[in-house]
Amino acid sequence: MTMDAQKHQPMGWLIGAVVGALFLLLPAMLLAAESVSPEVQFCLNCHSNKTLELVLQSGEKRSLYVDVDSFARSVHGDKLRCTDCHGDISTFPHPTRSFKNLRQFTLAYYESCKGCHFDNYTKSLDSVHYAILSKGDLRAPLCVDCHGAHDVAPPAVPRSRVSRTCSRCHQEVYRRYARSVHGKVLLQDGNVDAPVCADCHRSHNIEDPRTVVFHLKTPELCARCHTDEKLMAKYGLSTNVLKTYLKDFHGMTASLHKREQITPSAVTAVCTDCHGVHDILAVKDPSSTVMKANLVRVCQKCHADATENFPAAWLSHYEPSPKRAPLVYYVKLFYQIFIPFVVLGLVLQILLHIWRVVVNR
Amino acid sequence: MAQAKEGYFTRFSVRQRLEHLLIMVLFLVLALTGFPQKFFTAGWAQWLILHLGGIDRVRWLHRMSGILFSVVALEHGGVVLLLVLMKRIQLNMVPSKKDFWDAIVTLRYYLGLSEEQARFGRYDYRQKFEYWGLIFGGVIMMMTGFILYFPTLFARFLTGEVIPAAQVAHSNEGLLAFLVVILWHIYNAHLSPDVFPFDASIFTGRISEERMEHEHPLEYARVVAEKGESASPEEIADEGSSKEKSDEPSSE
Repeated sequence: MTMDAQKHQPMGWLIGAVVGALFLLLPAMLLAAESVSPEVQFCLNCHSNKTLELVLQSGEKRSLYVDVDSFARSVHGDKLRCTDCHGDISTFPHPTRSFKNLRQFTLAYYESCKGCHFDNYTKSLDSVHYAILSKGDLRAPLCVDCHGAHDVAPPAVPRSRVSRTCSRCHQEVYRRYARSVHGKVLLQDGNVDAPVCADCHRSHNIEDPRTVVFHLKTPELCARCHTDEKLMAKYGLSTNVLKTYLKDFHGMTASLHKREQITPSAVTAVCTDCHGVHDILAVKDPSSTVMKANLVRVCQKCHADATENFPAAWLSHYEPSPKRAPLVYYVKLFYQIFIPFVVLGLVLQILLHIWRVVVNR
Repeated sequence: MAQAKEGYFTRFSVRQRLEHLLIMVLFLVLALTGFPQKFFTAGWAQWLILHLGGIDRVRWLHRMSGILFSVVALEHGGVVLLLVLMKRIQLNMVPSKKDFWDAIVTLRYYLGLSEEQARFGRYDYRQKFEYWGLIFGGVIMMMTGFILYFPTLFARFLTGEVIPAAQVAHSNEGLLAFLVVILWHIYNAHLSPDVFPFDASIFTGRISEERMEHEHPLEYARVVAEKGESASPEEIADEGSSKEKSDEPSSE
């Protein structure tokens, strides 16, 4: 009868097929995941269940719910299938796996990313984070701790997102950064010229910033922006800062120590020692460490016996001129004239002597 | 004429020879450790600093040599002052009007304007120029060197700007001293046709009678007159070295 009915009611068959198809596609459609692949939809048959969870050995519970919406919006939404990362779970029922605790669960999938992101994975092996992880500190961040797992989004959109990501662990540093000249203009004014954490510390191969090597690299880091004519012109900042620093005692010492690769007996001052690190302020800011009134205290960090006169020994990144540092300027000028004068005089007399000796022969 | 005169005069005392030797060695060490600092961006300078054991050690060497240089300078100044006060020496090294005219006469001779040659005393004007150049240059180097060694100390009673000024002065004065030594001293003591290849008297303390008569005729005449014609040069020499007679700041 049904066959007959179908035969005699072709419209009814069509409606039935459409309804059937709709029914099959319903879970995916309801979840607005038009871009995820059928395989993902297959997994979602279970994993869209919000109550689905795994109890770990530690008693902690790990939710196995996947928000398909946020996965679909993620950078991987239209690219990856579940098994691309969860390669160990390609069959149903899933093979039994047991995890000690939540962190072990995350660690188990730590290496999933390297299949595609091998360069960043390799870089991260050189990072301070990996160093502490390999020493057994499981608090060290893994890929997903910064990037997220199913909801991976472009890490620097908006730009301030980078620093906010770091702030999840480095709250205190972030607090200081947010008050600094760099943090303020980015976080408050949305000025994307300002550096975020990763601009100085890098993102995957993050070095330990407490080492002498990193310390001596600081001028190079700051100089990447502070010698950029175009960028500095926007803010009326001098690009001579690196040149004048390197010419001076501290800059000379730092650049030689850096070359030597010997741990120096005492570390010389770099940009951040005077200007501050995360809490760096504009030099015009009255509370800036390099404000004239505050400078002697900065000098005293290394030169304990420095007095009020001492900071004037530093020409504040200016080249000596008759207006700025006239004493230095005129001493320099004197020798620029005096040395050629003396040397030419002596050479002339030597040449005349030789000439006379030749003539006498 | 030369064969007849084979004797030697004592020209420099042991103290003077020792002072010269010390200053020479210290000058070389100071130059060797100073120039790489002045030209630290150059490849050769960085190579040298690296092979001397790093900038910290180079600075240490430079400062220690500077201190020793200052000690020799103080010793020299002190001894000369003492000898002058004791009237044991005459101020042979003090520039005089005659030196000025000697320079003019010599230049005229070099230029071929005149055949007249200046007759020098114990020290000719070139030697005096070099001596006083070393004294003044040395004083500047020591003063600025100690300012740079102890910047916070000097900033207690001087404006801080003195420190970068001292740095510029130290660096340039050092270059000047080096150029004078390389050009003028090396020429006069080694390359000049008069002494080539090596005027050894500052090391041996002796000068040949021939050179004495030729290069310091007035001194020669004075010494010979003092001792009388009968005295042999060797006797004169012995006498000269036993007393602190021969000396730098000494002339009538």
